[in-house]
Amino acid sequence: MSSDVRFTDFKSDKQPTWCPGCGDFGTMNGMMKALANTGNDPDNTFVVAGIGCSGKIGTYMHSYALHGVHGRALPVGIGVKSANPDLEVMVSGGDGDGYSIGAGHFVHAVRRNMDMTYVVMDNRIYGLTKGQASPTSREDFETATTPDGPKQAPVNPLALALAADGSFIAQSFSSDAQRHTEIVQQAVEHDGFGFVNVYSPCVTFNDVDTYDYFRDAIVDLDEEGHDPTDRDAAQKKIMDEDTEYQGVIYQDEESEPYNERHGLDENMADIPDGAPEDATDLVREFY
Amino acid sequence: MPDDLNWAIGGEAGDGINSTGKIFAQALSRAGRHVFTSKDFASRIRGGYTAYKVRSSTERVESVVDRLDILIALTQRTVEENMDELHEGSVIIYDGERTMMEDFEAPEGMIGLPVPLKRLAEDAGGALMQNIVALGAACEVANFPIENLDEALEKRFGDKGESIVANNRQAARLGEEHVVEELDHDEFDYDIETTDNDYVLLNGDEAIGMGAIAAGCRFYSGYPITPATDVMEYLKGRLERYGGHVMQAEDELAAINMALGAARAGARSMTATSGPGIDLMTETFGLVATSETPLVICDVMRSGPSTGMPTKQEQGDLDMLLYGGHGEIPRFVVAPTTISECFHKTIEAFNLAEKYQTPVYLVGDLALAVSEQTFEPEEFDMDSVEIDRGKLVDENEIDSWLNDSDQFQPHFPAADGISPRTLPGTSGGAHMTTGLEHDELGRRTEEQEVRIEQVDKRNQKVETAKNEEDWDYREFGDSDADTLVLSWGSNEGAMREAMGFLDEADIDVRFLSVPYMFPRPDLTEEIEAADEVIVVECNATGQFADVVEGDTLTRVKRINKYNGVRFKADELAERITEKLDAAQEVPT
Repeated sequence: MSSDVRFTDFKSDKQPTWCPGCGDFGTMNGMMKALANTGNDPDNTFVVAGIGCSGKIGTYMHSYALHGVHGRALPVGIGVKSANPDLEVMVSGGDGDGYSIGAGHFVHAVRRNMDMTYVVMDNRIYGLTKGQASPTSREDFETATTPDGPKQAPVNPLALALAADGSFIAQSFSSDAQRHTEIVQQAVEHDGFGFVNVYSPCVTFNDVDTYDYFRDAIVDLDEEGHDPTDRDAAQKKIMDEDTEYQGVIYQDEESEPYNERHGLDENMADIPDGAPEDATDLVREFY
Repeated sequence: MPDDLNWAIGGEAGDGINSTGKIFAQALSRAGRHVFTSKDFASRIRGGYTAYKVRSSTERVESVVDRLDILIALTQRTVEENMDELHEGSVIIYDGERTMMEDFEAPEGMIGLPVPLKRLAEDAGGALMQNIVALGAACEVANFPIENLDEALEKRFGDKGESIVANNRQAARLGEEHVVEELDHDEFDYDIETTDNDYVLLNGDEAIGMGAIAAGCRFYSGYPITPATDVMEYLKGRLERYGGHVMQAEDELAAINMALGAARAGARSMTATSGPGIDLMTETFGLVATSETPLVICDVMRSGPSTGMPTKQEQGDLDMLLYGGHGEIPRFVVAPTTISECFHKTIEAFNLAEKYQTPVYLVGDLALAVSEQTFEPEEFDMDSVEIDRGKLVDENEIDSWLNDSDQFQPHFPAADGISPRTLPGTSGGAHMTTGLEHDELGRRTEEQEVRIEQVDKRNQKVETAKNEEDWDYREFGDSDADTLVLSWGSNEGAMREAMGFLDEADIDVRFLSVPYMFPRPDLTEEIEAADEVIVVECNATGQFADVVEGDTLTRVKRINKYNGVRFKADELAERITEKLDAAQEVPT
């Protein structure tokens, strides 16, 4: 790590193909700034992404990165961090990627509490497949596949994370650059699984959850004097479905990350040229 | 009586059948006898028929036969299930005081040996030890000194305290004494030899796990599934001793993706599953290949399709392993043919994966996975293990793999198809990789020329490997024989023993056991040199036979078995004889 890393060092030379005005630009900028601000550089950072608009992030950032299959980014990140705990691992996905096809992995990643950061670009719609309902779409949100609205409750990702004993649960808004960066930065600094749900509006297919909507609706938890270490207070905020909160909703500062619990502190890439020295003991066990 | 001893214990799942069988197998092994074990089990925790069979000889044994000399029957059904294998002079040990067996009469020619198993066990300290009482009785029947059990009992019960071990030893001796006092020894005359040899006794799943550690595997993720779970259970606790980690994933999709992540971070990584798990992993399998990540994916086959017969033998996944996945996926498919080869081929699989940056399917089957066999410990020589990590580029060499704008080229289309590889943390090596088609930098592309270049590059790795590695077979028998038998996977042991039976009938056979399914040896010459070619495999359609026919453009005969049970040596000899007889009856 070097101290003179700038956030632009995390930018690749590829121009994003996101729609002009897409919330993902702001989400990604905040991620890059958070990585630089916390003293990371591209060579010690591993970014994992799934499929969808959010999945393109690995191409636009410069770091070690893997763009995987739909919904499976978290397990990849868990494998990376297990094998080399010195790496800064950041996983990014969308609401479909994370809360639909990858919902199982999300819950298990939260309870596993690996020391990594998970940033979800939540635009409440499927963008790249051109406008179908997503797991966070409103009940009455009309789309090509749900002309009368999904008629089912949207997923509450923060509630899922709290129920799975999440140790860092936060929400931000991609166009509030400063707050968004701060919040992601706190997630990176958190010892454990730092989860940030980012309102990242889709300007093409979602005309309900727009920049204007979020700007008006958002309530900042800091301004409310919310204590993120108070789990009951966090639960109240999370279950309040009429308010869009921004900030760190819950943080367990005492949480013990998976790597520490399991003594994973070595770089597993370092192996000898032959079998381990005392490998013959393995054979002896079968006498 | 021959020195060969075929012994079994059968009862209901939950009766302690496995641990009793294992104790006897270990005792025989420690007494310098060769052992081969097999298990019959149902997919349930308690109840249902289950059995553990131990074949033992002073000669090496590699399969099961249709013969039982001593049977410990905890239930009447055990006798019924094994009737075909019992013969004149077989001894059936049972509890004559237990309701379910009290009216039992041994079938004609067989010797029923009632032993008050439960009562004697209670005398020794607890009814649970009834199996050990039976074991003691069996030792006396076989003329196998009972002291040989002591070490195995210590190994099994040592954790529970010395008094438990002592009680079990006592239980065994009560069983032995009962046979000495109550029964006429002239009725049976087993007298098995012991030797000074030291053998190790292990099953295929354990050999795969041990091979993985020897090969430097550090990360394993898997989801429990029969019959692959033993690999994970073996590795848990052991991998950690070497700085590695075993992670039980939430499902097979997570398991392969975790292993992929760990592999990209530089750890030698593996996941193991059975057919249904391979189905779930197949999408990511394509990603592993396209991102050029070294990964060993072990498929311990069981009977399918769908959930099929989870605890039964089959070799039905070959087509899926060779061709599974959308698009065209370069891969290696390595299938060990014996328990000791499970060890050696696992090491080879890790080297192939890293050398060629390609996924490797390591293929076992249930018969290999759950059967145990004795070996000379030297067969698992750790000193000869060589680790080849392939084109791993460090910070000093990185300059030669940068492009004009100083970016690392992880998918550089080298002539041999193998790119340089940097591990995360390597200065100047940052790059991305993806399942999307990409250029040499890992960036998404749909340019036609780049697409062709990268597809060719990935396929070239397999071509390079075809030339650089030995894709050989194991050969047995007379190389000039008119009859050629081919098989893959666990059938090797049964076939090798079948050759002994065939030899007695003056049938000369050349037998090739093929451990490489892709790439695989070219068998054209061998097939053209033979009059009759027979392919032996545990599936209904003859998947390997199809492959051989396609490769050599020659029709072959097929012996298939798909009732869920592995081939037995004598049965296989019979079926080969029938095939050859049938062939001769055809007018020319």
